[in-house]
Amino acid sequence: MFLCASALGSAYIMLNSTSSRFPNGFGNDSGELGHNIMDHNKPGNSNANVEGHLDVAYTGRRPNGFYIPRYRNVGKDKRDYLRGFGYQGRAARSNYSRFNDTPLMGAELKKAALEPGPWTIGMTAFGEILPYHENHAKLDRSNKDKHGLPLLVVDAVVRENEIKMQEDMRNDAAEMLEASGYKNVTVRSDSYNVGNSIHEMGTARMGADPKKSVLNKFNQVHACKNVFVTDGSFMPSSGCQNPSLTYMAFTARAADHAVSELKKGNL
Amino acid sequence: MIGNDESSEMQQRRAVLKRVAWMLGGAISAPAALAILQGCSAREPVPGEAAAAAKFFKGKQADIVTAIADVLIPKTDTSGALDAGVPAFIDSIMADVYPKDAQDRFSAGIDEFESGAGAGGKAFLDQDVTQRAATVQKAIDAALAGEHKDKPFILVARELTLLGFFTSRVGITENMEYVAVPTAYHGCVPLSQMKKHVYWE
Repeated sequence: MFLCASALGSAYIMLNSTSSRFPNGFGNDSGELGHNIMDHNKPGNSNANVEGHLDVAYTGRRPNGFYIPRYRNVGKDKRDYLRGFGYQGRAARSNYSRFNDTPLMGAELKKAALEPGPWTIGMTAFGEILPYHENHAKLDRSNKDKHGLPLLVVDAVVRENEIKMQEDMRNDAAEMLEASGYKNVTVRSDSYNVGNSIHEMGTARMGADPKKSVLNKFNQVHACKNVFVTDGSFMPSSGCQNPSLTYMAFTARAADHAVSELKKGNL
Repeated sequence: MIGNDESSEMQQRRAVLKRVAWMLGGAISAPAALAILQGCSAREPVPGEAAAAAKFFKGKQADIVTAIADVLIPKTDTSGALDAGVPAFIDSIMADVYPKDAQDRFSAGIDEFESGAGAGGKAFLDQDVTQRAATVQKAIDAALAGEHKDKPFILVARELTLLGFFTSRVGITENMEYVAVPTAYHGCVPLSQMKKHVYWE
């Protein structure tokens, strides 16, 4: 059986599946089910204007712009927080929305919108959030949804490590954009909390020790090997990369293991 | 199971979208970004499908917003806002996406615009197109000159007219180079080699 209902969804289903063997939720011998919720630390983006290059533009589409891999706490670099972050960004010519708060209208507006606007560049830091047992989701059995099912209550916040990292994320971006010679560098300082990057993960983490984790290295529930959980809930740490490809790779690996175990008669 | 109150879910999504809005290429407000991600777009009007179908506008409001959109992006040798179905787009985005306080401000803004435009002269809807354009220009200039806590009605109407038009079929195909997915990416193309200088992304 493969459970793949998203990090909070799978944890919900397991927490809501109780029995005399699993009174605290299916597979929850460790007490870690629903805990260690992570996301990606993303406290705003940085933008700047790029002068020149007005005789060129671009055509077509691509999935990404540029990526700056993690460099903090790598090698000899040591910060006053753990782990690090990468940046994702792109340069683009500004579009029709540059005329939103301008007086131009009518035929002149239509004519102006036929030309691309000045180049802009923007980048967003994506940082690792540490797994904290205290960041958790649990069932509220006294409050039911329209299907009569208990609500899921999520209690997760960023803590000192993430907040210290945010300072570097903003300052480094501004420094890089300034050093590149771009103009009007702006650094947005959005309030961030867990969930804003919609990369929730970690609610049924994998690990070698069944006392500290929910799943084994093949995404199998420790105490019930014919159940595989293959969404973001298995992640023991969040890294600073977009996680979908990792989920997919682990899912393929789990499926391969399941087929091989079935053939051996072990499942 | 994460809560069955759709409006609160929408509010949370909006908070998230405030952070991604810039990715769409500029200064777009969060509800507008949400609408586009939900697949909300203007479509050409069907004959006979009129203000009766309005979900948000009441009484003359549809006609007033239609007249404003028409002078902002008129039909010239290419299509205008009305060809693209912008008034119905604004009606739908207001009804389905904007929060209650913004809806109330927009609705009150239409009425204030009309009474201001008609003060001491012809009512806005009785003005000819040249007079309407001058009225709208005056309102925009006044809004841009002032300091406001919330974006003034005329600038919201303007943003939504531009958004509706430049994300519509006619707005894109007549003003931008449009190639369907999938297609190759070329990151540095001389404008002289592009049929149209703006590429629809």
